Amino acid sequence: MTRDKEEKRRPVLFINDHADILLEILKRLDGRSLCTAACVCRLWRALATADSVWEHLCLRRIVSPPPSSPGSSVRPVVSALGGYRRLYMLCVRHLLTRLDRDPGGRWRTSSAWDELQLSLSLFCVDYYERLGGRFGDTAATSSLMFLCKPVNV
Amino acid sequence: MKKRDHQESCSSSYGGGGGGGGGSSSNGKAAKTCWEDEQDPSGGMDELLAVLGYKVRSSDMADVALKLEQLEMVIGHEDGVSLSQLQNDTVHYNPSDLSAWVQTMLSEINTPLRDPVQSLNGGLDFSDLPDRVSSELTQTHLGFSDDSQYDLSAIPGMAAYPAPPTPPPPPRLQLAAVPNKRMKTSIGASDTNLNVTSSSSSSAVGGAPESTRPVVLVDSQEVGVRLVHTLLACAEAIQQENLKLAEVLVKHVGMLAMSQAGAMSKVATCFAEALARRIYKIYPQASLDTTSYNDILQMHFYESCPYLKFAHFTANQAILEAFTSASRVHVIDFSLKQGMQWPALMQALALRPGGPPTFRLTGIGPPQPDNTDSLQQVGWKLAQLAETIGVKFEFRGYLASDLSDLEPSMLDLRPPEMEAVAVNSIFELHRLLARPGQIDKVLSSIKGMKPKIVTMVEQEANHNGPVFLDRFTEALHYYSSLFDSLEGSGPTVADHDLMMLEFYLGRQICNVVACEGPDRFERHETLAQWRSRMGSSGFAPVYLGSNAFKQASMLLALFAGGDGYRVEENNGCLMLGWHTRPLIATSAWQLAPAVVAAGAH
Repeated sequence: MTRDKEEKRRPVLFINDHADILLEILKRLDGRSLCTAACVCRLWRALATADSVWEHLCLRRIVSPPPSSPGSSVRPVVSALGGYRRLYMLCVRHLLTRLDRDPGGRWRTSSAWDELQLSLSLFCVDYYERLGGRFGDTAATSSLMFLCKPVNV
Repeated sequence: MKKRDHQESCSSSYGGGGGGGGGSSSNGKAAKTCWEDEQDPSGGMDELLAVLGYKVRSSDMADVALKLEQLEMVIGHEDGVSLSQLQNDTVHYNPSDLSAWVQTMLSEINTPLRDPVQSLNGGLDFSDLPDRVSSELTQTHLGFSDDSQYDLSAIPGMAAYPAPPTPPPPPRLQLAAVPNKRMKTSIGASDTNLNVTSSSSSSAVGGAPESTRPVVLVDSQEVGVRLVHTLLACAEAIQQENLKLAEVLVKHVGMLAMSQAGAMSKVATCFAEALARRIYKIYPQASLDTTSYNDILQMHFYESCPYLKFAHFTANQAILEAFTSASRVHVIDFSLKQGMQWPALMQALALRPGGPPTFRLTGIGPPQPDNTDSLQQVGWKLAQLAETIGVKFEFRGYLASDLSDLEPSMLDLRPPEMEAVAVNSIFELHRLLARPGQIDKVLSSIKGMKPKIVTMVEQEANHNGPVFLDRFTEALHYYSSLFDSLEGSGPTVADHDLMMLEFYLGRQICNVVACEGPDRFERHETLAQWRSRMGSSGFAPVYLGSNAFKQASMLLALFAGGDGYRVEENNGCLMLGWHTRPLIATSAWQLAPAVVAAGAH
């Protein structure tokens, strides 16, 4: 009798059977968790490394796309320059940590869209530098070294 | 020989940590005699040290400890005063009398360095020290209380609170009041011991009132102050055509600079080299630099500090705002170099509402000594980028060794209805001030191009005054602030970083200080001066908007050391500075309405 009840209480839901739910969950994670998620299994990796998830991450803090530049025009540019995941890893992540470390909010006169714009500009400069062909794919070019250097807190 | 043994034994004992560690065998004899003398504790000598052979009065203990610390700092400092400096002819006697011995050591270090400065100040006598020094104490504390968090750099304190142009005599000493008095009493107390020493250490006695000075030397902030004073004194000597004195001072600066570490020593070294070039008339050969060398240095400057990035981003923002509705845009860049400014502009244009315009870039650069066409390579890279992000792009490169050779007709300009033109100059226009009439010619060429906007970024300093000494002082403060900001970007600035920056900025410094006439092309001028010049040439200011300010602020927040950088708005122009000192200024201009109306007819 008890054994039957236990069998009935066993979970029926296996998340890998429901990739759409998994995707929704992944869209709400932060960068570090996404990277960890990509290490779990092949399905998770495929979902977590898709650019659309990273696009959500980068654009998340933007409440509504500003009327001056609809999101659809940003995507092709970013994809051409290397994709949202790369944008996040190279630029956005550092921007968020650096700008967050100032609790007084001295630098927070800008909106999230401005921050994204700045990230995009730096990303573009980085792409341009790589055109020389001197750098490996993942190494930071010298123009972005200032982001990688440890910051004096 | 005897002296050296004493030095080495004492140094090794100091290395052992504090004074009196490890009884040295060479002091054994002295120990026995001292021991016999000091059976009577009422002699006032400390008993524990007496066991080791050192005669130190209990009352003097704290004072002697202080002096020993200073000596250890001086000897043990990695770039510090080398032992060779200690090996002059003064003989030291009686090291068991620690107090006097340390005094002679310290005063000996001070004595050779004292002279040049003293001779400059007309043989200033320090024998009447206490009153004068204590009266100066209150003065100096006001002068040198800087809020810089980096205690070891004296110059930024001065840069923030600029010293008066002439070095004030006597040199300011930052002394604490208490050790002063303590030393006075100890001199008196150990008079009996001093009498034991020979006449050669009368320099010690004569130097004893100067024993207040040892506090000055080992405090590295004080060496910084001395560096500055010596540099200024040297410049003044050059101004007065007293080249012999200048020579002596320049060598002295070199020696002092070695005892400092970091940015201070780099600044001092650069300026000392520049002064030496001026004295010996060895002018740097500008033509020997290859472009790739220049490019590497400039890329490094671009990467390690925010000045160039700030310049590019603010200029781009001004250009972007001027181009909001144009469908064809044309940018003329007076200083293309590696073209690092344009990817960001192209990206912003690509995301412009309504789609990107056709973007034409004309880049102007100097001809290369090795005949490679670097302009075309840059153009090709930009074209690749433009294709990637979907912006129609055209590029033209012009080799011109001199901007005044440029004529609007050469540039294949189209009428303003078809094409909006922007002229961009980053750190280029000041070079035209070297020859008379050049700047006016170039400004009228710019007017001939009928630009919608002219963006210009220049150093915010007056390095173009007619008097050498004023120029030198200005340059010293400016480049000190600059180097300080570079050092301030994090606790671990790599040595090679500083070295490359030293090369890059050192050449500018050499040019400002050592060259004259048409060879001196680093003729920086302040924003106010540029304003009046542009105004009288027929340009009206365009105010940089809040977007530029926000972007600049964000950019600076990303840099380590972002707390020290300041963006300021100055009548529509943006200035980037380090703490209170503005260092570069971005301004934007358009043709004044009267000029436009005149041109239309």
